[in-house]
Amino acid sequence: MTAVAPAPHGTGHRRSRGAPAPAVRTLLRGLPTLPAVVLLAVFLAGPIAYCVYYAFTDMQLTGATGTSFVGFDNFTRAFEDADFLNSVWLTLVFVVGSAVIGQNTLGLALAVLMEKATKPVRSLVNGVVIAAWVLPEVVAGYLMYAFFYDQGSLNSLLDAVGLPQQNWLYTMPILAVCLANVWRGTAFSMMVFTAAVNDVPRELLEAAEMDGAGPWQRLWRVVLPVIRPSILTNLMLITLQTLSVFGLIYTMTRGGPGNKSETLPIFMYQQAFQNSLIGYGTAIALVLLVVGALFSVVYIRLLKLEDD
Amino acid sequence: MAAVATPPAATVERTPVASRSPRGRRVRPGRVAINAVLLAVSVLYVLPLLWMVLASVSDTNSFRLQWPSSLTFDNFDAVLNVDTTYRPMLNSLLLCGFGTAATVVASVLCAYPLSRYRSRVRRPFLYTILFSTGLPITAVMIPVYSMFVQVNLIDSMPGTTLFLAASALPFGIWLMKNFMDGVPVVLEEAARIDGANTMQVLWRVVLPLMRPGVVVVTIFTFIGMWGNFFVPFILLLSPEKLPASVSVFTFLSAHDQTQYGQLSAFSLLYSLPVVLLYLLLARKLGGGFALGGALKG
Amino acid sequence: MRVRLVTAAAFTAATALAVTGCGSGSSGSSAKSIKVVYWQNLDSTNKLQATFLASMVKQFTQANPGTKVTLVPVTASENDYYTKIQLMMRSPATAPDLVYEDTALINSDIAGGYLKPLDSYTAKWADWAQYADAAKGAVSGAADGKVYGVPDNTDTRGIWYNKQLFQKAGITVPWQPKTWADVLTAARTIKAKLPDVTPLNLYTGTAGGEASSMQGFEMLLYGTPAGDKSLYDASQKKWVVGGKGFKDALDFVHTVYNQGLGPAKEQALGANFGTTVGTELLPQGKLAMDIDGSWMPNNWSSSAAKPWTEWQSVMGTAAMPTQNGQAPGRTSMSGGWAWSVPAKAKNPDLAWKFLSTTLQTKANSATWNARNATIAVRKDVAADPTYLKAVPTNKFFTELVADTHYRPGLPAYNQVSTAIQKAMESVTTGQASVDKAAETFDNDVKAAVGDDKTAEGTS
Repeated sequence: MTAVAPAPHGTGHRRSRGAPAPAVRTLLRGLPTLPAVVLLAVFLAGPIAYCVYYAFTDMQLTGATGTSFVGFDNFTRAFEDADFLNSVWLTLVFVVGSAVIGQNTLGLALAVLMEKATKPVRSLVNGVVIAAWVLPEVVAGYLMYAFFYDQGSLNSLLDAVGLPQQNWLYTMPILAVCLANVWRGTAFSMMVFTAAVNDVPRELLEAAEMDGAGPWQRLWRVVLPVIRPSILTNLMLITLQTLSVFGLIYTMTRGGPGNKSETLPIFMYQQAFQNSLIGYGTAIALVLLVVGALFSVVYIRLLKLEDD
Repeated sequence: MAAVATPPAATVERTPVASRSPRGRRVRPGRVAINAVLLAVSVLYVLPLLWMVLASVSDTNSFRLQWPSSLTFDNFDAVLNVDTTYRPMLNSLLLCGFGTAATVVASVLCAYPLSRYRSRVRRPFLYTILFSTGLPITAVMIPVYSMFVQVNLIDSMPGTTLFLAASALPFGIWLMKNFMDGVPVVLEEAARIDGANTMQVLWRVVLPLMRPGVVVVTIFTFIGMWGNFFVPFILLLSPEKLPASVSVFTFLSAHDQTQYGQLSAFSLLYSLPVVLLYLLLARKLGGGFALGGALKG
Repeated sequence: MRVRLVTAAAFTAATALAVTGCGSGSSGSSAKSIKVVYWQNLDSTNKLQATFLASMVKQFTQANPGTKVTLVPVTASENDYYTKIQLMMRSPATAPDLVYEDTALINSDIAGGYLKPLDSYTAKWADWAQYADAAKGAVSGAADGKVYGVPDNTDTRGIWYNKQLFQKAGITVPWQPKTWADVLTAARTIKAKLPDVTPLNLYTGTAGGEASSMQGFEMLLYGTPAGDKSLYDASQKKWVVGGKGFKDALDFVHTVYNQGLGPAKEQALGANFGTTVGTELLPQGKLAMDIDGSWMPNNWSSSAAKPWTEWQSVMGTAAMPTQNGQAPGRTSMSGGWAWSVPAKAKNPDLAWKFLSTTLQTKANSATWNARNATIAVRKDVAADPTYLKAVPTNKFFTELVADTHYRPGLPAYNQVSTAIQKAMESVTTGQASVDKAAETFDNDVKAAVGDDKTAEGTS
């Protein structure tokens, strides 16, 4: 936990100047957090608390006036609902496929390769990858829809190089949305890794080279271990971001055909707003939060191991 | 936060890639292959973008990538009017502009104590913030609506702006805090000895050193807000207050089988502000790699 | 620090709420103004209702100086529209004074406590006697029998077919199938003779929403021998599960989509396929048969985005046959939209005045039904020659009213309808077999309404 290292300095210094009593001091120090804390408390914490309450009720947007407490009914219902389990599975596929494997690996690969590429190529890759990331989610979804569409660009491309075509959005929608998310989100990982790779001490690499290590070995034995914390931090962030992806999938497939690309955010939206089952929908949102927390705990654990 | 394990001093003054002496000078054989691979990836990345640009100026409606037989600006003509483009874009700029400003200011202020002082609430607070970055905002919209009605903020642009700002805060604070960890405390202490108070230290010493961080948070926040459809749709009632994200979404739902040209033209116009913002700010970052500063371990 | 921060935050929040809360009383509409919320179709070129309502507002404000009517269109998908108006109706501060809803959803909103009973108003309104009983039934509460809305149109459904394509394929026109098998035979003939033409469109899937349930599925289901008891048994007050008719109807969907008699699956499952059918496939002669509503000429009128004047000579209409030709030989489904006053409306009296003296006079109803190509619900309008002549197919579709069916007007219908769409989608894609999809539907219905509210279908 090197991050907290500065704290003692600050403390020692202030005390020595005969600052106010500790309690008052703590409060004064906390003062700058006030705008953020108020915003978060009023606009997020309050509604989230309500959501937690809703998740244990049978609240409906229409169809019934009363709302009554139903305990864990929504959760037991969820775990008996084949569609819900399907969504959990697809969410895992989506997160692992598009974020943990897709964005993370491609981002790392691009960062490593770009180090060795000529400058124009580097600028080009950097430009186009970031352009895809900067686009609004809905627009990205629309472009990916057009790209994977049966009569779209991808199939023209496959046709041109003589590979078999596929009706992507129909036969393998979850793959299509995963690839779309890789297309859209890799820039983030690429930027993180570019900076990290850039910081690998050159002496280490040179020493490895002296010892006769080839490029692969240098990557495997030197670069990866050094940037391990970056990888884990990146994984945590992209996992959390990917878990709540809604607009991209919704514009591309709406979770269909059938429920073949219905991840948890889409399922939640459909239950809460299409079926007006607010209670059930928010219970699903809570499950989603728990899934995110579980992933984060794993990453944080791994990072801690690193520290100790 | 465990995620930021490197000693802070090493982080900030890192110059971007461009200025590094090329380490690969001696590694030649693979270079052609590497360039080729990267070019292939770029092509895959460019195709969808190219399609949008071509479709917007083409008179033939097709999902296939094809060179337009003749150039036309009819598609732009069709969408460039007050109802479809100008007013929603202006609303978007107001909502996202002020929202981003609020998020950035609040997260800078909030990040400072989090980065500098030890406290019992610090860790739980940071974890809570981190987890809430994965919160699907759609889930909380029902209670938010009820609350907005009660406090009479419904159909109010400032109210919606504040909510957008709040929902972007967790990620903003988290990033900002990590950037701030990279600013050496030593520099602050000098200023403190000269009698500067916390705000002065923050403004004169810390912020100038973490400008890349502020830029990154700004870009992130703005991009996220610009694309947010559901929040303004629920919280704003009057049609004339709705931002472009709502119109692009309804446009998409209405025409997904037809009029790709107009849709592409509109998508292009709609993406323009974020791209411009990025280009404008990324320049200040010297290449756009500053993000790594906050996130490398 | 924790305690203080929280206290401080709570205090600030409370102050903020108190300050902003002060304004809430004054921002409401005055006694002289009302807010009218309606659904603006996503197709922004379709301004039919916007134009009509604007002219109504003008009429009303001229006749009642000093009043103000604010029109609030909600541009969204139909589901999002309901989400939004339900949220608006939840609180007095945002509740409109008049809302426009599909009669299928009225009972859901009645049960939700969102709507105001209008009996005290209709009792004193002479015109109310002109409304057809079936239409009145569609706006009455299932639990209390009170009136909750004034319907302004209804519709019927049948088969639209392209006479030119039929002749090219060697099928004699006018054409009227007697059984489902006749419909499939015609589709197979067209597939064989005209390979470039889609033989039959049957709406399907969740993206199509209520269009899939009504035009697609219930047109089949209510034509099975169980008829009116195929989905909901009103005598037992139970939803029907495990019925043979349900599986037969699903099997028809499966046949259409898996023998290549329907549109490409991914196209049919798209969100906006209805618009494509109306504005492209039919006018371009790419679709031979379409099970669709009486309002289709809206797509082709001179005020539409792409007028198609030849439709009157190209398109033919046929009634949907019952499954095996059993009596009465044909079937149809009816829905329609209605104006309701929310329970929390600030100015219900003025809203009713606008509704009864302007929006729903005989003349204005006739104009609306003619313009919108919908079927009249007022008997005086239905007999009106100008209405009957406004759209040539009005006569045909008005006559179908005799054998039409209405959806169960119950709060749970919405969820049952979603379950139908899901079952259709899974057999369309082939993701599930007919039996499996029917089983899933049964479970979904039981989960939605409770086991005790369902009954096993017999036939």
